[in-house]
Amino acid sequence: MPHPVRLSHRSTGLVQAALVLLFSLTCSWSIAQPADQAQYDQGEKLFKQNCASCHKPDKRMTGPALKGAKERWDGKGDIHAWVHNSQEYLKSGNEYANALYAEYNKTLMTPQAISDAEIDAVLYYADNYAPPAPPPGEAPVPTGAPEETPAWPWFLVLGLLFVVVWMSLNGVRKGLTNAVREQQGLEPAPDMTMWQGFKAWAWNNKVFASVLGLLITTVLLVTLWNWAFDIGVYGGDGVAHYRPEQPIAFNHTLHAGKASDKNLQINCQYCHSGAEKSKHAGIPSPNVCMNCHRAVAEGRTPDGTQEIAKIYAAVGWDPAANNGGGAYTGEEHPIHWVKVHNLPDHVFFSHAQHVAVGKLECQECHGPIDTEMTVAEQWAPLTMGWCIQCHNEKEAKMAGNGYYDEIMARLKASDDLGHRELKQFLEDEKITVRELGGWECAKCHY
Amino acid sequence: MPSTKRYWKDLGELDRSSEAMKGRDSEFPGPLPIDQVLSDKGFAGATTGRRDFLKFLGFGLGAASLAACETPVIKSIPYVNKPEEITPGVANWYASTYYDGTDFASILVKTREGRPIHIQGNPRFGINRDPDLTNGVINARINSSVLGLYDSTRVRGPVMRHGENERMAHSWADADKAIMGRLDEIGSKGGRIVILTPTIISPSSKAAIERFRMKYSTELDGGDGLQVTVGAQVDHVQYDTISYSGTATANLKCFGKRVLPSYDLSKADVLVGIDCDLLSGWGNPTENSWQYAKRRRPENGPMSRHWQFEARMSITGANADMRLAIKPSEVPGLVIGLHDAIAKKAGATLIGGGADSDAISRVADELWAAKGRSVVMCGTNEEGVQTMVDHINWMLGNYGATIDLDGHQRLHAGDDAVMLRLLADMKAGKVGALIIQGVNPVYSLPNGAAFRDALAQVGLTVSTSDHADETASACQWICPDHHFLESWNDHMPKAGRYALTQPTIRPLHDTRQWQDSLLRWAAADVDHHGLIRDTWRNAWAGHADGGTTPPFETMWDRALAEGGYDAYAPARTEQMFNGDVQTAASMARKAVEGAGDWEVVLYTKESIGNGLHANNPWLQEMPDPLTKVTWDNYVCMSPTDMKNLGLNLYLGQEAPASVVTIGVNETSFDLPVVPAPGQRPGTVSVALGYGRGANGEEVGRAACLKDEDGEPMPVGHNAYPFTSLVNGSISYHVLNATITPTGATYPIAITQTHLTDMGRDSVVRETEFGVWAEHDPKNTYNPPATLPVHVDVNEDGEIDARDREDVSKVDLWEEFAVESVGHRWGMSIDLNACTGCGACLTACVSENNIPVVGKDEVRRSREMHWLRLDRYYSSDMTQERAEEEGIGKIEMYTDMEHPSEMPRVVFMPVMCQHCNHASCETVCPVAATTHSLEGLNMMAYNRCIGTRYCANNCPYKVRRFNWFNYVSPKFGEVNPAWDDVGRMVLNPDVVVRSRGVIEKCSMCVQRIQAGKLEAKKAGTPVPDGSIQTACAAACGTGAIVFGDLNDPNSRVRARSEEERSYHMLEEVGMRPNVNYLARVRNIETENEA
Repeated sequence: MPHPVRLSHRSTGLVQAALVLLFSLTCSWSIAQPADQAQYDQGEKLFKQNCASCHKPDKRMTGPALKGAKERWDGKGDIHAWVHNSQEYLKSGNEYANALYAEYNKTLMTPQAISDAEIDAVLYYADNYAPPAPPPGEAPVPTGAPEETPAWPWFLVLGLLFVVVWMSLNGVRKGLTNAVREQQGLEPAPDMTMWQGFKAWAWNNKVFASVLGLLITTVLLVTLWNWAFDIGVYGGDGVAHYRPEQPIAFNHTLHAGKASDKNLQINCQYCHSGAEKSKHAGIPSPNVCMNCHRAVAEGRTPDGTQEIAKIYAAVGWDPAANNGGGAYTGEEHPIHWVKVHNLPDHVFFSHAQHVAVGKLECQECHGPIDTEMTVAEQWAPLTMGWCIQCHNEKEAKMAGNGYYDEIMARLKASDDLGHRELKQFLEDEKITVRELGGWECAKCHY
Repeated sequence: MPSTKRYWKDLGELDRSSEAMKGRDSEFPGPLPIDQVLSDKGFAGATTGRRDFLKFLGFGLGAASLAACETPVIKSIPYVNKPEEITPGVANWYASTYYDGTDFASILVKTREGRPIHIQGNPRFGINRDPDLTNGVINARINSSVLGLYDSTRVRGPVMRHGENERMAHSWADADKAIMGRLDEIGSKGGRIVILTPTIISPSSKAAIERFRMKYSTELDGGDGLQVTVGAQVDHVQYDTISYSGTATANLKCFGKRVLPSYDLSKADVLVGIDCDLLSGWGNPTENSWQYAKRRRPENGPMSRHWQFEARMSITGANADMRLAIKPSEVPGLVIGLHDAIAKKAGATLIGGGADSDAISRVADELWAAKGRSVVMCGTNEEGVQTMVDHINWMLGNYGATIDLDGHQRLHAGDDAVMLRLLADMKAGKVGALIIQGVNPVYSLPNGAAFRDALAQVGLTVSTSDHADETASACQWICPDHHFLESWNDHMPKAGRYALTQPTIRPLHDTRQWQDSLLRWAAADVDHHGLIRDTWRNAWAGHADGGTTPPFETMWDRALAEGGYDAYAPARTEQMFNGDVQTAASMARKAVEGAGDWEVVLYTKESIGNGLHANNPWLQEMPDPLTKVTWDNYVCMSPTDMKNLGLNLYLGQEAPASVVTIGVNETSFDLPVVPAPGQRPGTVSVALGYGRGANGEEVGRAACLKDEDGEPMPVGHNAYPFTSLVNGSISYHVLNATITPTGATYPIAITQTHLTDMGRDSVVRETEFGVWAEHDPKNTYNPPATLPVHVDVNEDGEIDARDREDVSKVDLWEEFAVESVGHRWGMSIDLNACTGCGACLTACVSENNIPVVGKDEVRRSREMHWLRLDRYYSSDMTQERAEEEGIGKIEMYTDMEHPSEMPRVVFMPVMCQHCNHASCETVCPVAATTHSLEGLNMMAYNRCIGTRYCANNCPYKVRRFNWFNYVSPKFGEVNPAWDDVGRMVLNPDVVVRSRGVIEKCSMCVQRIQAGKLEAKKAGTPVPDGSIQTACAAACGTGAIVFGDLNDPNSRVRARSEEERSYHMLEEVGMRPNVNYLARVRNIETENEA
């Protein structure tokens, strides 16, 4: 097929992406479009307010899926009465209601104070509900988009070119020199190798050559020294951050990021609950994941759904069991996470001291984990220099803590006795962690 | 035609080319052409010079070390379902109870991530607890028991013996089927089933035994009051490794109760111990200790007066005010004499013919003056002597006051006569089945070999031992019991006092607790846990008063949280003495007839006890409080006797001990001799509990080492065969032994080679009660340390030796801020309350991951203990005496190292003193040891380069150098504490030090940091007592108190300001944060000449 216009690869990709986007949007529009949008919207609002903690529109949860509920109840009982007060309705002896009650582990439905019309709206919403398509932003990346090529091959080519030019210029220069010498009736200059030439030049320019040599050696040594400092360091500026591949591609930004960016803004310590109590912040056990993911089985992308399935595999949750209500199979497979932040064994670090007492934000040491890191990585270098630098600068959070009130009272009493410590501490108008002993060996090493 | 089809691998094979087929039949190609390469001319002429070689080497090393810098990938695997009570990194404490048939204590178990790692006394509950103090008493055996859980040599599932020595693992189902089948068979034949246990104080375990009995035997009413047994006859025999049978029988004859009474030493003004190590090995030492210590602190009111009569220097004797050495054969005479002296005052019938001495009449006077406030305790397991002692106490009106027979001990209830009858029945083939739990009679009976032979005559033998030990290895089945930390159990050490043992870990191996085994074999529908709950439900129903009792579950939860439940209210009954003292006296006299030249006292050591836990390396390496010897038993002999026999008196690394052959009747073996000042000349003492696994039984690695050929090399010798039956109970005295020097020597690992403090008055300070009560300490026993200075201090116009300045005013260094800023952690150690038990030492080992180094290293003074327990004997030589008698300085100092024949003893726990002006800190070239604002002397192991300057400069010698990588297989034999299973006992909050660094007491800085963090989180000042070092928490007698010296209301501050408080070696000006309280002895001042 002849192409009238030859498009670049980039524009082909763009066109493809646009087409895909348009297609998917139309599709979802055409599926999700209910006849009565107003009732649908009202139902959706009510559903999310009142029902979503136990029901899903299209799946079993604590209660049955609401889709088709009206149809199921049709002729068997009064769904409105059931929703208003299921306990009362059960007493009426309705067969279907009692069967339902038995099927769902005899869990009573919370009585709902909404009108019949509102119930209808909810059911209408459920009937017309369609699972959302992946958000457009996450559409598969069109193939053929140019990858960012690294710059170093170009430098290599340039460097080689430079060497070739320099060598040929050198040859020309030698030829010209010899020609001049010949003209002056001198012997042609001895044919020296490059190394010999360099040595001769260095001999003739001793001072310059030695200064240059010294300079080069110093630069090399300093570079080596600095580089050696980064051995075993996997965070901080200028060092590749440690970001191992994890068994589950957990997305920190999605879970802990700001709600305004369509993230979930879960408090860090909801999952890392040890941070306030223990030296370890702890990796949450999958049963904590299941607090939400028992209900949230689908990710925003198919990949996300796959990752959630890995949690299910770990805790032994079969979402399809129990007629789609899910059940634990008892088959558990612990998740082998790769530890990102590793301190040497001879260092004692307590999260509780820093989080509960020092009132540090997680991000101060872990970096923009909620905004920029999808996968956890070591942001801070975790070197002793980094630790004590912070201890040197940070003001101890003493206000409102009875423990520090006592320490302060003792300092003041000692001040009254003529000791200088408190005055020394307050020279910079704050009492730093270091001044309270934050630089002492046995604070971290024992 | 498939039969002719050929398969080929390549063309060569297809063509059958001979070249290609060459060598096809060999696995590897032919020999490598090494010779060719080496003979190559180019190779021979290669010019890799020395420098090039070194360059390659350097590059290789550099590359390898750089590559090693790569951090390994560390996995972090969370629980799938995290138990609610576990937060990784935070310790959980569980109240539980320790009882092994001998020792009893209410304890707290510290667990980390589900692993028990430390045991301390329960401060809230238990008969081992002083209600006024915050700690419960435990001993080294109890807090070391946590290591036994991780013993990799435990039997890991039921095994059955096949043939002589082969054992085969079976499943529990198979074992149960086989055993129940045999039991049924025995039952159907009307045979006899015997359950052999130590004294059981658990009501529920007794119920389990009863269930078992009911399954195999039914008692029917045969009419006329006759009981007819149908099925098997099931008997429960209790056998105590260390017998109290004579004592109990005496109480039966005197008062109608075959029991050991409870003593209340806290009410005793005068305590007389006769051959009775009540603080270490007799009765219930955990209870005795706190009661005793309570009356030993002079600040607590009138100090008790303690007389001790004994042959060997025991821990109790070392604590006594007045101690007199007597031979075992002299005990009856002494008791008769004391009896008569008191009977005279009481107007009772005299026996006559007893010993008579000043000491006896003084003791009698003091006892009589303290009627109803005194107690006489005798440890001789002989009925006659005990009957007389009972009568003495009865005449003194001590029953119902200091001695309680109504609320008696339930411990030590075994009866030797029953045990011996069992042995005779076994020999006669009258026992159909024998189930053995918790005892090791083949090892510990006087005639253990006979018991082993008799086992072969029993139809079915089952042991529930956790090791294939001496007895278990001779049984057909071993059905291993849980470790107590894996078990449920209950206890009633006294009437109405219920204590609970709860599991703190899931069973490590395929074991089953013995009560569950019995219940299984009884086909019961309940497990032991259920049985305990049933028992307790019924017990509480009995204690319920007027319907105010909370529901069972509430009570149960509270009991679990606290460790037990106390409904201790025994009815007081008047005791009437019905004993026959005359007969008793003749019995006792007859028992000591035929005493020879050498008498032997058999005793249990504080560390090893009766030997059932001899496989615990922590205990083996714990120095004996008195002899300071580790990893051995030996003959304790008076230095005078040793001189007479020409034996080596001085022991050290290069000075081995002399060996003697000790013989009793036909039994004899060789043992090294250790000088024991205070031992009665003509007597020796030998510790029981050693020599385990002599026939190659698997008793655990520390109890029985292996020599180079893999042959078993038991630690020490088994002295149980020296015990004998006297007047129906086992006697631990040998009256006629032979001692023959062999001329051989034996290296001994000893941690303190000096015996006295050489007349220094600044290490240990002591005085008499009268001086303490009436005089100013500064002018008498506790003078301030002064130094001669070059200033005219006394203003007499001359600068001379009399110009001395208080040491606190002389200093090289500036005042350090810690004394007024923030915390200042400190410790106060009361030498009066310290009984020398050494529980602090093992608690420190457990808390701080201190390695076991083995006998050979201890011998080289390389033991790693951060806390040592110094023991000083007094010497007869003093500076005053030397001056009076004109003895020269050198001779004087030589004599000072010779302890007296009847020395006084001081125990002194010494750990890093955390000096404010520490001499170690100033000499460290790399600043690895520095001072903290909180008064701690810190040690950064990773900075230490091992110069050991600090250790050399420390006046207290508390810094230990780590010589080897003790986790390596090289030390596996002696450090089984840390093999793959044993490593689970390590405290994750304390780093495991590697070789080449100095280490020392950190004052449990991990606990200080944790305690401060708790206070910060709660937003309160650190409550006094909330932070306890491991040693202070282990010290149930309150000798060690830890706290914040800058807190004006802290206990440690109050202690440090007491009159008795002093700093060790104060004159060197280290300003330690540890102070000691001078020892006060309740002796008359005029006697002190």
